[in-house]
Amino acid sequence: MTAAISILQALLLIVAAPLVRGTIARLKAILQNRRGASVWRPYADLLKLLRKEDLVPTTASPVFRVAPRAVFAATVAAVLFVPVLHAAAALSLAGDFIILVYLLALARFFLMLGAMDGGSSFGGMGASREALVSTLAEAPFLLSITAVAIVAREMSLSGIARWSLAQDPSRISAVHVLAFAALALVAIAETGRIPVDNPTTHLELTMIHEAMVLEYSGPSLAWIEWASSVKLSLVLALLVALFMPWGMMASPSALGMALAIAAFLLKFVLLAAVVAVGESSIAKLRMYLVPDFLGVASALAILAVVFTAVMR
Amino acid sequence: MGLVHFAAEKTLASSAVLLFITVLMMAAARRISTCIMLFAAQCAIITAQILAMAYVHRSPEAYAIAGFMLVIKVLTIPYALSWIVEKLKAPRDVTASTTPAQSVFIVSALILLSFFAIGPYMQVLRVDEDVLAAAITLVLTGAFLMVSRTKALMQVIGLLVLENGIFLAALVTTFGMPLIIEIGVLFDLLMGVFLMGLFVFRIRDTFDHLDVSKLRKLRG
Repeated sequence: MTAAISILQALLLIVAAPLVRGTIARLKAILQNRRGASVWRPYADLLKLLRKEDLVPTTASPVFRVAPRAVFAATVAAVLFVPVLHAAAALSLAGDFIILVYLLALARFFLMLGAMDGGSSFGGMGASREALVSTLAEAPFLLSITAVAIVAREMSLSGIARWSLAQDPSRISAVHVLAFAALALVAIAETGRIPVDNPTTHLELTMIHEAMVLEYSGPSLAWIEWASSVKLSLVLALLVALFMPWGMMASPSALGMALAIAAFLLKFVLLAAVVAVGESSIAKLRMYLVPDFLGVASALAILAVVFTAVMR
Repeated sequence: MGLVHFAAEKTLASSAVLLFITVLMMAAARRISTCIMLFAAQCAIITAQILAMAYVHRSPEAYAIAGFMLVIKVLTIPYALSWIVEKLKAPRDVTASTTPAQSVFIVSALILLSFFAIGPYMQVLRVDEDVLAAAITLVLTGAFLMVSRTKALMQVIGLLVLENGIFLAALVTTFGMPLIIEIGVLFDLLMGVFLMGLFVFRIRDTFDHLDVSKLRKLRG
């Protein structure tokens, strides 16, 4: 039973990922006084792309075709480590948050390889920017989860979620607040949202992710787009699992399942609203200010780790 | 009544964390208006703490202090500062000599320093460690904001943060000074802000900018 729920929650995260993206886009459109596309639009886009021809530049090597599939595979593998509906993931072992961070890094590595293999100057530029952002985001990403792991005295994400589930929600711990702030900043950088990157722009001067996928078309582009949606949902699910898992099932039951799904939907709609409001109210940072943005995240993450020793 | 008691307890337990967050955000803030908002939030947190203490220790004097604090520090001073920012029509960014990331690192170090600094006193004083550390952090951060920000207005805000720290330290160690003294300090502060506001206008009118680092040229 628990194994079935674990598989189900991973599938839910993967299948619902485009919907999350569509919801954010729709909310943003409403906030900006536009009607916006339907929330199901990302699915239509994916289906359309999957039916189209895959155009490969003449200069490209086989890496160009392999990269999008590898990106998708690594991202989906990372999903298996995240608890969503109940406080246990499909895969769970001591130190699995390190695997999660580096599976995402692997996905990014292949994305950068594919981008450079495409042979356009934009691909290389986007890849170099992505390399800068991801290098700076990696330390606060690992450190903030480590801080929470130290407080929980648990080595796996599922263990941390189980521990958080047993805590009193009205008790604010300094470590959690700092780690949450750091991880939220990292999440913005990781998923390429405003103010680090703008997912809707195709302006040469500013784009990071869009520059890397410029040469891709057809099914390859579909895999990349789906993978980036999954990554967004995964990072949101990670924030939920580590800092606000309340509502997750403690033991498998029909009522618990319904409650967990309701809590999942509520939290994701809230997070989507937060992302939409945030993105509508702030401007994108200049590229040279991004290291500063992630420097703040690093400072907060380090402070969170140190605080585990200072406070009780 | 149970709910009020619960709220008071939670306020006392979490105010230090919230104060740490406000100083970290102040270090990362890029605009003066953001800093003013954060200052108002900081004063609101301290007001909530005074209210919680007044409730727990059943002291009517503390309610009066909380009222004065609310009117003067949470409403009047931030409003006056925003008005000054509006009137000055100067660039609204805090021109800092450190980047936001460096500032956050330094403020983090200051938070740790204050925890180590109060360590020896914790055996003799019977107070909440986090809140006393937060008070020392406010003093240190205020001083840091004053030396690292070059806009004249940020020096005013740094001084106000520093004063908040002293106020909070007095509150947690002695459960507040006598009412008359507290009121005197608050009105002094109000007058101080108005005087400093006047100075800021004079600096702007005479030099066409608010950058205090350039005032060094005035030396003979």
